[in-house]
Amino acid sequence: MSMTGVQIYKFLPKTNCKKCGFPTCLAFAMKVAQKSIAITDCPDLSEESTLALESAARPPIQIVTVGADEKKIEVGGEVVMFRHEKTFYHPPGLVIRLKDSTPLEENLKQVEAVASYQVERVGMMFTVDGFAIENDSGDAAAFAKLVAAVAEKAPSPLVLMSTKPDAMKTALEKAGPLRPLIYAATTDNWSDMTELAKAHGCPLAVAAGDGLEGLAGLVEQVTGNGVENIVLDPGGRDYLSSLTQLTQIRRLALKENFRPLGFPVIAFPGEGTDSNEEESMLAGQQVAKYAGIIVLNHFSPSTMYPLLTLRLNIYTDPQKPIQMQPGLYPIGNPKEDSPVCVTTNFSLTYFAVAGELEGSAFPSWLMVCDTEGLSVLTAWAAGKFDAERIAKATKEFNIAGSVNHHRVIIPGHLAVLRGELEEELSGWEVLVGPRDAVDLGAFLKKSW
Amino acid sequence: MSRFIATAAIKGANDIFNEAETLYQKALKEFGPDGKIGFPNTAYYLPVIYGFTGHKVETVADLVPALNFAKSLLPTPPKENIWLPYLGETLDSGVATLFAEEIIEGIRFALGQQPETRNGFTFNGPIDDVQMRSWGIAMVDGRMPGFAAIIGAAKSNEVAVKIVRELQSRGQLVFLAGNVNGRSMVDQLLEEGVELGYDTYTVPFGSDTISTIYAMGYATRAAYSFGNVKPGDARSMLLYNKFRCFAFGLVLGPVTDLDYATGAGAINYGFPIVADTAVPHILPTGVTQYEHVIGMPFDDIPGDNDLEKAERLVQRCIEIRGIKVKIAKVPIPVAYGPAFEGEIVRRDSLRAEFGGKGGICFEFLQLKDMDDVEDGKITVIGPEVDEVDEGARVPMAIMVGVAGRKMQKDFEPVLERQIHHFLNGAEGIQHMGQRDITWIRFSKGAVNKGFRIKHIGDILHANLHNHFGAIVDKVEITIHTEKAKVEELIEGARREYGERNARIAGLSDETVDTYYSCSLCQSFAPNHICVINPERVGLCGAYNWLDCRASFEINPRGPNQPVLKGATIDPVKGEWEGVNQFVFENSNRAVDRMTIYSLMDAPMTTCGCCECVMVILPETNGVMIVSRDDYGMTPSGMTFTTLMGMVGGGLQTPGMMGHGKYYITSNKFLLAEGGIKRIVWLSKNLKEELAEELKEASEKSGAPDLIDKIGDSESAPTIEELMTFLEQKEHPALTMDPLM
Amino acid sequence: MPTVEIPVEKWSGKIHEVRLGGQGRKEVVVGGENTLPFLHFEGSIPNPPVLAVEVLDRDPRDWAEPLLQAWGDVLKNPAAWAKKAVEVGANLIALRLKTAHPEEGNTGAEEAKRVVSSVLEAVDVPLIVLGPEVAEKDNEVLVAASEAGRGQRLALGNCEEKNYRTIGATCLADGHVAIGKTPIEINLAKQLNILLSDLGMSQDSLLMDPTTGALGYGLEYTYSVMERLRLAALGGDKMTSMPMICTVGEEAWRQKEAKTSEGVPDTWGPLAERALRWEEMTAISLLQSGANIIVLRHPSTVEKVQSAITRLMG
Repeated sequence: MSMTGVQIYKFLPKTNCKKCGFPTCLAFAMKVAQKSIAITDCPDLSEESTLALESAARPPIQIVTVGADEKKIEVGGEVVMFRHEKTFYHPPGLVIRLKDSTPLEENLKQVEAVASYQVERVGMMFTVDGFAIENDSGDAAAFAKLVAAVAEKAPSPLVLMSTKPDAMKTALEKAGPLRPLIYAATTDNWSDMTELAKAHGCPLAVAAGDGLEGLAGLVEQVTGNGVENIVLDPGGRDYLSSLTQLTQIRRLALKENFRPLGFPVIAFPGEGTDSNEEESMLAGQQVAKYAGIIVLNHFSPSTMYPLLTLRLNIYTDPQKPIQMQPGLYPIGNPKEDSPVCVTTNFSLTYFAVAGELEGSAFPSWLMVCDTEGLSVLTAWAAGKFDAERIAKATKEFNIAGSVNHHRVIIPGHLAVLRGELEEELSGWEVLVGPRDAVDLGAFLKKSW
Repeated sequence: MSRFIATAAIKGANDIFNEAETLYQKALKEFGPDGKIGFPNTAYYLPVIYGFTGHKVETVADLVPALNFAKSLLPTPPKENIWLPYLGETLDSGVATLFAEEIIEGIRFALGQQPETRNGFTFNGPIDDVQMRSWGIAMVDGRMPGFAAIIGAAKSNEVAVKIVRELQSRGQLVFLAGNVNGRSMVDQLLEEGVELGYDTYTVPFGSDTISTIYAMGYATRAAYSFGNVKPGDARSMLLYNKFRCFAFGLVLGPVTDLDYATGAGAINYGFPIVADTAVPHILPTGVTQYEHVIGMPFDDIPGDNDLEKAERLVQRCIEIRGIKVKIAKVPIPVAYGPAFEGEIVRRDSLRAEFGGKGGICFEFLQLKDMDDVEDGKITVIGPEVDEVDEGARVPMAIMVGVAGRKMQKDFEPVLERQIHHFLNGAEGIQHMGQRDITWIRFSKGAVNKGFRIKHIGDILHANLHNHFGAIVDKVEITIHTEKAKVEELIEGARREYGERNARIAGLSDETVDTYYSCSLCQSFAPNHICVINPERVGLCGAYNWLDCRASFEINPRGPNQPVLKGATIDPVKGEWEGVNQFVFENSNRAVDRMTIYSLMDAPMTTCGCCECVMVILPETNGVMIVSRDDYGMTPSGMTFTTLMGMVGGGLQTPGMMGHGKYYITSNKFLLAEGGIKRIVWLSKNLKEELAEELKEASEKSGAPDLIDKIGDSESAPTIEELMTFLEQKEHPALTMDPLM
Repeated sequence: MPTVEIPVEKWSGKIHEVRLGGQGRKEVVVGGENTLPFLHFEGSIPNPPVLAVEVLDRDPRDWAEPLLQAWGDVLKNPAAWAKKAVEVGANLIALRLKTAHPEEGNTGAEEAKRVVSSVLEAVDVPLIVLGPEVAEKDNEVLVAASEAGRGQRLALGNCEEKNYRTIGATCLADGHVAIGKTPIEINLAKQLNILLSDLGMSQDSLLMDPTTGALGYGLEYTYSVMERLRLAALGGDKMTSMPMICTVGEEAWRQKEAKTSEGVPDTWGPLAERALRWEEMTAISLLQSGANIIVLRHPSTVEKVQSAITRLMG
């Protein structure tokens, strides 16, 4: 389905004009093949070529955007069943559900808590993506009031939940510019909801309770009516039906290129479980298994943090491992005379080494070198973890300023670098540590 | 097959069978049919009979079917004048013998004659199940290779002790039985104060040959316990022992008919027999791994004294059973380990060096015949390191002789290249280069601690055994440090290096039917599999076809597996059915076909370790090649790193390919697209590094001045400049068939 | 209405069925499925994933507060601990012989036999015995454990490339199941299974442990290696078709998130809740990638994960 760089090249003007920002048409074609830039960046592409390339590049699962401006949720666009086959591209949006039957003050308090929530992991900041606002009261005015309040207090991606077109209409009048997801078009209201989606340029969730066939049928009616940005709700709520339906939808889209179900899916883990904890577990399953937007009934830091972490793990590109920020990390409470260990910025290596140091009797300094995310041996083999780099990092992070000794411990696999490193770092003694992190504690006991 | 042995074994079997039958009659009379028969402390009845037939002997009456089975196996002795292979009959009579012996020992237990007491010493009798199990674990996990069943008595007490010590030092269990004129090895050891029993791994079974049956009972039970063998499944039981239990029989003193018959029984288990007297040999036919029976008349064994002869005798036993030597610790006076690999010995700490500027030093590893190598022998001819001046540059020749049943001439360079890595592991020793550009430095510290030239030998001996045990059986090292001798030897070595080069150059993809795979990088590129053939080195440059073949021999379950070429689909693109199938199955079914010589049609995938990336430059109708060491921009508009990011990870990307640098000068380079003449741009460092080989390859291609027509970062850094350059130089690619 | 034909994969492989316990003891069977986790619509999953509770042979004084509180006094006695673990729903007990570690007391075969026997006596569920993960000591105490549990079909681990022979041999001799452990690499896992098979171990007496990290600490590697192993197995590769065991509790409770209550951001939430979520979330994700046995530490996680499994089994 997807084209190689050389195939794409054939459609290009082959002028090496550089207007796209790349020195050659071939380099541009390769980038397009990687899907890291759009074909439309070529200003001289013939109409014919554009058409041919765009249809070839059309993803089997539609990419749908909820929200506007900076804060938005982009989901869909996935191309594999399993992350190791390529990667999962678009992490599911996590939104917190509010009901218009709850006192406004209480809701706003929750909005405040959610909107201000942010948590750091491996140098990245994570937040909750937005809110789902439900017209639980059945009253259009109450719904619109809450929507307006949330849109004002925390303008973020929203899911507006009402099956009543009139309620939805008034809510959209308040929040339309935020491009909320309209939830949901059903067999009863789809025509009106479709019109609303078109009028406001909003994505539309399609919900059908009678299996995937019913859902596909409804989707065809909606798309036939001119709405392309669709999110599916196949109806399954518990662990098993959610897993089954989401797997089937993903397979139909990817393996059969089944267009009516080639859209991201919305999940409601709170409706299939009885408590905050269980909701977060089911949400965990849905992060791993194919949900596009996850609506959570509960919000608490102790469930949100693990969920965000899982999402980060699952959506990490297997070819681009998580990297640590290079630098000098204190492990435990190291002092001036504590050992200095050297490792790579491949997160897994870092975690292993840091974990062992933490468990050892030695608070230590861990110097993380920029090896472009490669592990020790791979980095060494690729020339990204050599004496020069280690020496440079030692100076850059001013190790000498943190300790009162001149000794560094390098990974056992880098033993060959010892002599060279001692030359680069004159006045320093280079100790060769163990090959495996697990032996660090014993090594320090013996050699430090 | 020796008719002599067959005759003796069949006769021995008939005799012992008759003895068993007589004893059975006696037992029947004394105990009646319900009298209890069995060995103590075992759940396996009479284990050999149980193992072969599944028949449980618990009473005198139960002996009858066992006797009948033995009888059915008994052949008549060969006629004087008829010559037949006899092997089958001999083996059958061996099994009959084992049955008869076990029946006899079973009845002897009932009669209170076992375990035997003689001269106030009580023998052990059969090994109990608990002990069998505990030794069995050591046997399965490799700490204890197997056992030596010794029958008879040694030439002297001194020799007896030496043999036992030699066997123990190799982790072999020692079982003792039999006698020579009433005197047994047990007597000899007791007289010398040697402790016998389970704790010393030296078990006295009994004073006659019959008690050797306990060794077979032990082996049989090991197969039930550790081989998942069901009683009665004789074939599996025997095969288990052949491949898992490294046991052999050693007959000391004259060999009787019963010894031959018992030996024939042991051969069924794959256990060879060595005698220290002149006996006819039975050479390999497959029942045991190598020879079945050999005789080494003790006094004829080479050696200055009986102890040396005893050592060689044991060494020979070890060899014919294929037992591998493992050396736990490299025996040198300085620390040894990978942590010292990166050490540099600087001038101010230098004690002596070998080779280097103006010096002469080489290393040469050679395959030799088994008999021409004395394992573990290390000789230094010429001055030792403590006899030379401080800082001296000393000539050195490191001659390593290697012998092994599975060693091949082609593995010589593979092993020789490891010398670098092995020697660098020693603290205070630095090794650089290889072959005749070897340069070794000893530090003062190392020499002060006692490190000597001879320790080079110790390091190589231990490491070659430990790392290459699968192909190496014996290693002998001779190191010369006299200038004249070194200069003389280096000539021969250089001739051989030249021949090796020629041999590798002469290897072509057509002359082999098997390529090798490499899956080392699947940890990070799960769908990538390398296929390495004689004319295309691995893309990382680290593995050529010979390396992979050796690696497979050494570690048959490792990352390098044979890939049968199968039928040729396209000889020009380099596509074979077998390769496609292998790649499909081993790329997680991601790559269904792969060519070896084409860039445009199903090219080989890349893990991410390739030395070079080749990419088509459509404007030029040619290809460019950038090397990993070239950090600059290329005419493709992409750097090596960018290109690597696109081609790596196991994705097939026609028009782009990763490869090793020596592939460029291969005869099979880009065969499908017209060969080396397609190269329009090459990283400068590659041009310099491969200058000679490139020149030769261009001459072969019919464009001797090709190199000058290939652009580089200086002459043609961008695609526009390259086009001008190529047109100016009239590069052949411009007029070749269109690539796209 | 468009017709929807659900794509069903025609897998040729099936996970080996491995039995633990039996002969008077309760029997637990794992494996046997011929499809991906919980995809009942395309294959059969005869045995649900099961939960083991980790029990140490010594008071786990270094464990996190929520664990110490949950278990209370039984932590002082492995047999009592195991008994309580069964009461809270453990299908299996995973006994870790921690004190055999050279730095943790360096106890030997005798102590191992004693503890294993006492736990075997206290509970009627099958037992997994894990060594201190120092190859030599593993060999010593697992061989002893093997003898003590002869005929009880234990699972013994971990076999690694350097010591698989001894553990394999003792499993062969006493009829136990061996657990092979390899780091984040499908080929290594496969190779270890081949080596154990070469030793004579049958395919229904092997488990593999691909665990390398908890949530946030390399979980994605474990997750993907497990998916790859499972896909290879279902594709017909017998040497990757062993059921998988994951030491989720050990990994999760080792992390800062499960241990630290002070000096961490408020956005992590209180330790008592966060620590449990860490274990639960690690467990639920590895259930999705094919875990057959999950070893846990906290009784509440056992209850929650069991409830998830029950629902996923339909």
